[in-house]
Amino acid sequence: MAEQKVAAYICQGCGLGDRLDTADLAKIAQKEGKVAFAKEHEFLCNADGVQLIKNDIAEGVTHVVIGACSRRAKTEAFSFPGVHVSRANLREGVIWVRPDSDEHRETTQEMAADYIRMSCAEAKRVNIPAGNPNHGGNKRILVVGGGMSGMTSALEASRAGYQVVLVEKSGELGGWANKLYKRIPFNEPFNGPQDTGVAEMAAAVQADGNITVYTNAVVSKTGGAPGRFAVEINHNGTPVAEEVGAIVQATGFTTYDTAKLPELGGGKSPNVVDQAGLEALMKAANGGAIKRPSDGGEVKNVVFVQCAGQRDDTGTHLPYCSGFCCATSVKQAMYFKDANPDVDTTVLYTDLRMPGNNEDFYRSAQNKGVTFSKGKVKSVEANGNQCKVAFHDLILNDENAAIADADLVVLATGQVPNAGTDIDAWTQAETESNNGQNAEAAQRAQELKVVSVLNLTYRQGPDVPQLKHGFADSHFICFPYETRRTGIYMAGPVRRPMDIAQATEDATGAAMKAIQAVENAAVGRAAHPRSGDLSFPSVRKEGCTQCKRCTVECPFGAIDEDEQRYPLFNEERCRRCGTCMGACPVRVISFENYSIDTVGSQIKSVDMPDEFDEKPRILILACENDAYPALDMAGMNRIEYNPFVRVVPVRCLGSVNLIFITDALNSGYDGVMLMGCKHGDDYQCHFVKGSEIANYRLSKVDDTLKSLNLETERVATYEVAITDIERVPKLINEYAAKIEEIGMNPFKGF
Amino acid sequence: MSEMKYHNNFLREVEERVEEGHMVKMCMQCGVCSGSCPFGPHWAHPPQELFMMIRAGKREEVLSSDSMWMCTSCYQCIVRCPRKLPITHIMHGLAYLAKREGKVPKGQPTAQFGQMFWDNLTKTGRVNELKLSLSLYFKDGFGQGIKNAMAMQSVGLGLMKAGRLNPLEILGGHSIKDKSGFQAMLKKAREIEDTRRKLA
Amino acid sequence: MTEVVATNQTILVVGGGISGMTAALEAAECGKDVVLVEKNPVLGGRVSQLYRYFPKMCHPVCGLEINQRRIKMNPRIRVLTMAEVTEISGQKGDYTASVKISPRYVNENCTGCGDCAQAAETEIPDAYNYNLGKVKAAFLPSKMAHPQRYVVDPSVVGTPEGEKIKAACKYNAVDLEMKEETLQLKAGAIVWATGWKPYDAAKIQPYGYDRFSNVITNVEFERLADPHGPTGGKLLRPSDGKEAKNVAFIQCAGSRDENHLRHCSRFCCTASLKQTQYVREKFGDEASSTVYYIDIRAIDRFEDFYAKVRADQSVKLVKSKVAKIVQDPKSGDVVLHGVDTEGYHRYANSHDLVVLAVGMEPSVKGAGVPAEVAADASGFLIPGDVNGGIFGAGCATNALDVNRAVQSATASALRAIQVINKVASVEG
Repeated sequence: MAEQKVAAYICQGCGLGDRLDTADLAKIAQKEGKVAFAKEHEFLCNADGVQLIKNDIAEGVTHVVIGACSRRAKTEAFSFPGVHVSRANLREGVIWVRPDSDEHRETTQEMAADYIRMSCAEAKRVNIPAGNPNHGGNKRILVVGGGMSGMTSALEASRAGYQVVLVEKSGELGGWANKLYKRIPFNEPFNGPQDTGVAEMAAAVQADGNITVYTNAVVSKTGGAPGRFAVEINHNGTPVAEEVGAIVQATGFTTYDTAKLPELGGGKSPNVVDQAGLEALMKAANGGAIKRPSDGGEVKNVVFVQCAGQRDDTGTHLPYCSGFCCATSVKQAMYFKDANPDVDTTVLYTDLRMPGNNEDFYRSAQNKGVTFSKGKVKSVEANGNQCKVAFHDLILNDENAAIADADLVVLATGQVPNAGTDIDAWTQAETESNNGQNAEAAQRAQELKVVSVLNLTYRQGPDVPQLKHGFADSHFICFPYETRRTGIYMAGPVRRPMDIAQATEDATGAAMKAIQAVENAAVGRAAHPRSGDLSFPSVRKEGCTQCKRCTVECPFGAIDEDEQRYPLFNEERCRRCGTCMGACPVRVISFENYSIDTVGSQIKSVDMPDEFDEKPRILILACENDAYPALDMAGMNRIEYNPFVRVVPVRCLGSVNLIFITDALNSGYDGVMLMGCKHGDDYQCHFVKGSEIANYRLSKVDDTLKSLNLETERVATYEVAITDIERVPKLINEYAAKIEEIGMNPFKGF
Repeated sequence: MSEMKYHNNFLREVEERVEEGHMVKMCMQCGVCSGSCPFGPHWAHPPQELFMMIRAGKREEVLSSDSMWMCTSCYQCIVRCPRKLPITHIMHGLAYLAKREGKVPKGQPTAQFGQMFWDNLTKTGRVNELKLSLSLYFKDGFGQGIKNAMAMQSVGLGLMKAGRLNPLEILGGHSIKDKSGFQAMLKKAREIEDTRRKLA
Repeated sequence: MTEVVATNQTILVVGGGISGMTAALEAAECGKDVVLVEKNPVLGGRVSQLYRYFPKMCHPVCGLEINQRRIKMNPRIRVLTMAEVTEISGQKGDYTASVKISPRYVNENCTGCGDCAQAAETEIPDAYNYNLGKVKAAFLPSKMAHPQRYVVDPSVVGTPEGEKIKAACKYNAVDLEMKEETLQLKAGAIVWATGWKPYDAAKIQPYGYDRFSNVITNVEFERLADPHGPTGGKLLRPSDGKEAKNVAFIQCAGSRDENHLRHCSRFCCTASLKQTQYVREKFGDEASSTVYYIDIRAIDRFEDFYAKVRADQSVKLVKSKVAKIVQDPKSGDVVLHGVDTEGYHRYANSHDLVVLAVGMEPSVKGAGVPAEVAADASGFLIPGDVNGGIFGAGCATNALDVNRAVQSATASALRAIQVINKVASVEG
């Protein structure tokens, strides 16, 4: 690698030249920042300024310090391949948040000078990521589950030229779709049930040269990382080893057990079936008329009970809505109406949920004479060969409404996901088992593990963490394919209850992400949200105390343990959030472009006025995705804030190591503000747990402060959203006032 | 306890026997018709509720309701219905069915007037406005009739002065040329309708 | 002249909202070359105009920041703003698209310093805030704007004010000589992600959107709630600036209606439930929201959110399609007339403000594709590969919430890649 050569460029544009003594800043960069040279430019981001930098790079500059606008502005202009760029935010972070008057000139200049010092300090400690030479390059994709979702993922990946290994638990491809007589229509005119197309799809999968199919097979072990997953498949009892680069989990759902719904006649009469049961009857009838199961009598009256065991607020059944069941009942009622319009079909619903163009399907059903009644079903009772469905008719406000002579009652039950082991419960059990000491907990952990789908050898458990109600969905609205296991993506009803149309679309997207994962892994690149980052975590083993905090806290389960119980980093699983770095009590974990040193040196480089200067210093560690942009936009709105703060953007609050705080206080800062994302149930941290973990760690800081005889207010944590443009300056000013109140840090000058 | 059957028998009957009755099943119970009706507050059952009652098989209640007789044909409901149900027409159709089934509430004024109008018209093939007015005024007895007539006196005189009301009409009035042909036509029309709507 | 390198191995993504950005990013992060074309001066689309998302109540600009950073960092994506595709010729694997670029009158020298806006005097309607406020004729469309570059409105070009704006820029970034230009771009596959527009509420006559100032739409309500909006995040009603503490939400304003939009727009129920929480957020126990609905379509996990809102004492739910609205000219209050269909209760309810949950219409019939494409009766593109190498994505294909739109966009990126990879295997 070329010798490090740092150069600094100070821009005079956008008023920087008027408001700041840029010559002084250049001098500071050179004298204190120890850069090779520092240049001023009147308009750095224009073609001429950029060319100036490019020329210097051609002459050997490897690290560039730019004292100009925020890193969020002019990013493309100041991007130089293979060169590190540190941005001292003199515009949004200094002159735009300070009043333009003589009395403030000194403090404004001090702010700017510190940001130059900080950027120089950072640049000097950053290494250009060379890329991980040990990354895996396998580009095959494992699809687990051979239903509509899984088959779609396999075919779509194959169509893009990728090889696929498809593992199906049962003896044949098709999944639930095999059991359907027809499906809900995807396209106009939405006037009736359509052929499922499952047989054609299964045949296409079988015929596809890119796809290797294992039926009667389960995944018995998955180790490795994106680009190099080592998968063991139990195929008919015989172990088969496959190497793949990414995984799509399309393990579908199980229907909710109707036996749990005796009040709705579940298990009480053969004439009460769930939707799957009705499909079975329809398949058996093979286009003929369905006979009453109890006695083979003619079916004249069918009642569909929506939300059976769903949308339950008593805590007994499924609390969620499965979304597909309204349309399914409509489809099934059409089975009867299409065969014989004289059969009465009544759908009892509370909200008929047929979004999008399915509204037309609803209309078609009405047109065919399917009757819809808004009502809450209270009970289904068998009475000989018929059932009595009692309900509260909500429109006619009749609490005692009833259909006394239903020949067949169809319960629209929900989808229960097959997501495998509940990692949270498993982790809990594992922790409680205390290495097998607690037999009950150990047993519980074992039971939770038995249902595992992927049998990951990851230290954090055998499956992908679930989000809610057992579904392994993403928590992010903007990023539905985010999972906490890099390179493993969910497709279909295992992520969220859905119908075939949604599942196949979802499965196509999941195949896309899997392809992207193998392409990223093949060049050692990080996946979203730090896409493209070529750095990777490294650990100085000799300093490691095997405390395991990194392995426990990594939000993505990237870190296992080696035979000697040292952390074993699987770089391809890593998202570069730095939570491990923040966790490490002995500070042995670092990234080439982000380390204890790159952050710590920025903190320490600030010029610390002495106690009598009456100029406190407040350190702000701000999440680069939300709090930092909010600060930037406060600047764009020219909202003033206190000149004594110094902001260091961090990848995630989870990457904040306590040493940053103790170092700051030891070197004389009077206060530290930490700004991270919302945590808790509706967390907004892009690294899932970063802000939560930081919050936990910082809850212990008070004791440290007390032991140092420092006021606990000297460290404050805030949840900040990107929209807090007005609030953030307010927080800063309030905090500065607070610090003024409690006085200067007694450690100043030591 | 009301043992409602929620069978579609009555819905089928309505589809068969009521003008535009086949659209009743398309209602999605949004209620915009009920809210839009200017006479709404005076109905026992607004249209959307009537449609639900039809689907619930409440034949007796629907046909003996006076609700459909309250429709003034303002067409607000039709204009606003998101499912394009011809609600006005259905209301009139239901009223007609109720009438044919003899379920009209006793003394229902709209029904009464309708009958008077029909009787008046079909006698001569022309509407005898004077007789129609008088029969309306006197429907509740002689004393009430005089009161009603006195109350409407100025209107009647005004119409006479303007030549819009001929007092001699009281003597039989004008009629169309081929009265028996007209009667035959009505009879045929009724036969056709009875067959088509199974109303015999 | 704008220079763009594009070949038959390039993916053209049309529409720079969240679907288009996603499709472009997913493909580019797979190593594909992408040209992303956006009609507006900045990326982000309608999502960037939302205050919060359901059900997490988080801020959409948070994800936008990530996506914009991904775009800034990715040299494989070329972004063209103020650009529209006017013509497409050729076939799968070999398309030529005409892209019309309107003049921004500000070139890449712009530093975003804002001196031009200082110099401008004319105020024009603020499109970012659905015209609820005004901006200077030299403006940055939003604080999150990417590209972070000002725009000069054509109305001041050729005027002395235009010259003054030009003179105010120290960096020669204002170029009033800029002309409309048309580029011919090659592309192997096209992802069509032109999104949706809110249904024109004025067409729903009984609701009086065009007559009553205190009847607004759901998208406008987002701007009122947003601290970056025209009221600084205060829920003030238009007629008199009074705080709107008692708000009515009317569902299916246009949707599920054969006189307007046949389809259900899917997102509006949950969006209104979310918006009730804005009222709660601003006014606490003084808040009062009433949602008038036909069916609450809060599917899957959104049911949790629905349950949460239902438990909120400030929220009432009435199963009713409101018949008509009257605004009292004196008090400014709006009275809703209709029938609660659960048991037949007639109401005439007075509210401070009415929010119409208007539905989604694909940007233009047939999603506006200037080529022969298969679309449904509502104008949504048929998803999948029925349109050769043109793939619909997001709300151009269906009424979708953000999450589903992004799923659709991700799927369409793969469909485009399939074409590109085939082209690459032939071209070698």
